Amino acid sequence: MKIGVPNEVHTGEKRVATTPEVIKFLQKLGYTVAVESGAGAKANFSDEAYRQSGAEIINNTKSLWESSNIILKVRAPEQHPDLNINECDLLKEGQTLISFIWPAQNESLIQKLAEKNINVLAMDSIPRISRAQKMDALSSMANIAGYRAVIEASHHFGRFFTGQITAAGKVPPAKVLVIGAGVAGLAAIGAANSLGAIVRSFDTRPEVKEQVESMGADFLLLDFEEDGSGEGGYAKTMSDEFIAAEMALFTEQAKDVDIIITTALIPGKPAPKLITKDMVSSMKDGSVIVDLAAEQGGNCELTLPHDVNVTDNGVTIIGYSDLPSRLPTQSSQLYGTNLRHLLTDMTPEKDGQMIIDMEDEAVRGATVIKEGQITWPPPPPKLSATPAVKQTEPVPVITKESKKPTLLRQSLPLIISALILYGLGSVAPSSFMTHFTVFVLSCFIGYMVIWNVTASLHTPLMSVTNAVSSIIIIGALIQISSSDTLLVALAFIGILITSINISGGFAVTRRMLKMFRR
Amino acid sequence: MSGGLVTVSYIGAIILFVMTLGGLSHQETSRKGNLYGMIGMTIAVLATVFGPEVTTNIHLIVIAMLIGGSIGFTLAKKVEMTQMPELVAILHSLVGLAAVLVGYVNFMDESISFPTDIEKVIHEVEIYIGVLIGAVTFSGSVIAFGKLSGMIGGSPLLLPARHWFNLGLLILSIWVGYEFVHQAEAGNAMMYLMIMTGIALLFGIHMVMAIGGADMPVVISMLNSYSGWAAAGIGFTLENTALIITGALVGSSGAILSYIMCKGMNRSFFNVILGGFGATEQSTNTSSKEQKPVKSGNAEDAAFLMKNASSVIIVPGYGMAVAQAQHALREMVDTLKKNDIKVTYAIHPVAGRMPGHMNVLLAEANVPYDEVFELEEINNDFANADVAFVIGANDVTNPVAKTDPQSPIYGMPVLDVEKCKSVLFVKRSLSPGYAGIDNDLFYKENTLMLFADAKKMTENITKNL
Repeated sequence: MKIGVPNEVHTGEKRVATTPEVIKFLQKLGYTVAVESGAGAKANFSDEAYRQSGAEIINNTKSLWESSNIILKVRAPEQHPDLNINECDLLKEGQTLISFIWPAQNESLIQKLAEKNINVLAMDSIPRISRAQKMDALSSMANIAGYRAVIEASHHFGRFFTGQITAAGKVPPAKVLVIGAGVAGLAAIGAANSLGAIVRSFDTRPEVKEQVESMGADFLLLDFEEDGSGEGGYAKTMSDEFIAAEMALFTEQAKDVDIIITTALIPGKPAPKLITKDMVSSMKDGSVIVDLAAEQGGNCELTLPHDVNVTDNGVTIIGYSDLPSRLPTQSSQLYGTNLRHLLTDMTPEKDGQMIIDMEDEAVRGATVIKEGQITWPPPPPKLSATPAVKQTEPVPVITKESKKPTLLRQSLPLIISALILYGLGSVAPSSFMTHFTVFVLSCFIGYMVIWNVTASLHTPLMSVTNAVSSIIIIGALIQISSSDTLLVALAFIGILITSINISGGFAVTRRMLKMFRR
Repeated sequence: MSGGLVTVSYIGAIILFVMTLGGLSHQETSRKGNLYGMIGMTIAVLATVFGPEVTTNIHLIVIAMLIGGSIGFTLAKKVEMTQMPELVAILHSLVGLAAVLVGYVNFMDESISFPTDIEKVIHEVEIYIGVLIGAVTFSGSVIAFGKLSGMIGGSPLLLPARHWFNLGLLILSIWVGYEFVHQAEAGNAMMYLMIMTGIALLFGIHMVMAIGGADMPVVISMLNSYSGWAAAGIGFTLENTALIITGALVGSSGAILSYIMCKGMNRSFFNVILGGFGATEQSTNTSSKEQKPVKSGNAEDAAFLMKNASSVIIVPGYGMAVAQAQHALREMVDTLKKNDIKVTYAIHPVAGRMPGHMNVLLAEANVPYDEVFELEEINNDFANADVAFVIGANDVTNPVAKTDPQSPIYGMPVLDVEKCKSVLFVKRSLSPGYAGIDNDLFYKENTLMLFADAKKMTENITKNL
């Protein structure tokens, strides 16, 4: 089958759906790849680079769309400015389109595509199951967006991120608040942290606390119990009381922090308004807000989608919706790899024949149209990417072990052994008892001496005690003076094998100890 | 040499043995400790040979000791450090066998007379117990040797009614013991002694067969303890104080060592002895396997990660021993150190197949011992480290031990490897470890699996650094 990668026509879109590196893998899967001339130019992949990796370069847009079985794109089909034709109309029966589609927001587009009797896989609909992480383009784009958000913020921010003490005075570190600790939020935390800022983060889902802390930020807690984890690892809408508490927290934080990065999104809903006009006006002059939810209406009331505006009190609000496209080389490479992983799963035989297997949960989730039939929305995914907090079953407390042994149970062995010893003492002759005393005392000496042994010396200790236990040679030595030949022979063997043990044990211990050095 | 002088020599030897054990508790004094042991043993042997009880056949002693000594010396010289557990196991079996032989000889020797009947009975019982422990030590050690050297499969052999079987053997041996003492007066108790030896051998075999590979360290140290008790038992029969004291020293120190190790695994001592690690009825967690994604990488990726780290913790396990990767590992660490990366080693108390196994191997590769840390010392450092390099360890890093009460290793202290920023896992495949359970760590997002032979992988990483 032939894969076609057309030029992205969306204004300002710099990404491309494949890279020369990815093409090599696609060819191993048995596909041939054609790339429209100039498709990768804005992402710094030249036609020449594509050609070298074995792709065919096609100049004519129409012939590229026509000759391909599979079309890989970044943006959903839209009006082509040069050809004056909708990209949907370039598709013909039997073709497969893989790109971002956003089926929930673009119902008319879905209808239109379905009429073409084609297959459509939406990269934004890959379910968030563990197995599909490698093809989760939303995550890879969110990662880039989070990183870029920090870079954009630092671009508009008049100070260092890191604190320094210099000859010219002390520089306080920037304080960054990241709202929403999804993939983008975590990436932003990581980037801001590595620039040296003090980072705080808030999320409605308590289970992300650990992740936030692992990225080096402080997790802000509310005095309020409510779990915001929704289906499939995303957040859900919270109760009014919760939101009130949350807003109070943000109001307080807004006065303190220099940079706010908001990433709060709830699937299929407009973005929650978290940063009010009042909060913005309470912020310091020169502060920056980066609103990653701008496209869905923005988390900040003053956000202008796709644009940057500066408020009267000097707060810069960045509402770019194309952050991944602002790092085109990186995002093309990651997106291309996501596509490649999806195609790998869909090409089990590696023979260049793509199979849409509706049993495969990842493929099923992504497929929005199959042979002209709309198959969206898919059934809900069974497993969340992050395991949901087990609410129902608290870990059963093992009462058996935690129960303190009663006095009787503790003292019983002592009592029994005391009784046995008394019994023994009443019958045994004194010579035995003398030996027995020696025996018991030696046990205690052994106990005291060994108790504090360093763990690393366990092996040498064992081999030396092994050698020492060859003291049994004394027994054999005494017996060899017997007059009976058989006994002498047995004693001889005894001496022989214990000698092995003595020399072997001590020598090997010596060898081991010699190796230990400081 | 008179009896008094012999006793004084024995006292000297015993003091030296106590100092040996004490010296072996710490690195600084350990070599001296070993030397004390050698001197003590020499004094004890010489005192016995020149003492009043050895009258003839001194030439035989010299021959036997020369042969045995040279065999032992060659063994100790030749053995690979990775085979140390096997060597120790087989040496234990020799002590057990010697105890059996000495017990038999003592029993057959008719020149010994007793003033009272009760002393004779005690004497018989002492022989009986000494031989019993000796035989258990012998067969148990042989099986342990077989398991460690791979001649016998490592998985526990669990007979359906094994506890009843053990109990049956115990009762049987008590009954045989009773008969033995009775028949001894009539002079034909030899048969009973032999029956008991058979039972004890069987018991030793069964006991070690039922113990899983992961518990091997405990078994070795337990057998070590047994060999001491056997010596002490024989000491009673011979009424030799040196034997009693030394035997008791070794016996109790071995028992304590086993106890310390069981504590390290959070397992009850009896549980281990009576068999069955994996025996905790492998329950639910194998069935609900979702096919999880695993990130695998190559030496270049690993080298890249480590080069950019500022601190690396190395977690060695049995896999390193098998692949003999300790020298390669140290070379890698040397290269890392040249790049100003802080490297430490984290050793779990039961890593490897015998206590302190990893320490010995690292020491062989000239790793300074103050870079090597124990579980408690280093566990909090994982959260601050950049890379955990897990080489051939598995179960000791499994976070399931902290989270899943169903798991057979639940409650065992594990190394908190998952808290590191990234985890590199050198392993040949995704197969479970000795405990037979899957390791969640493989599927964590910050884990990179390096599927290869530990030695080759380490060498390749060094090349890429």
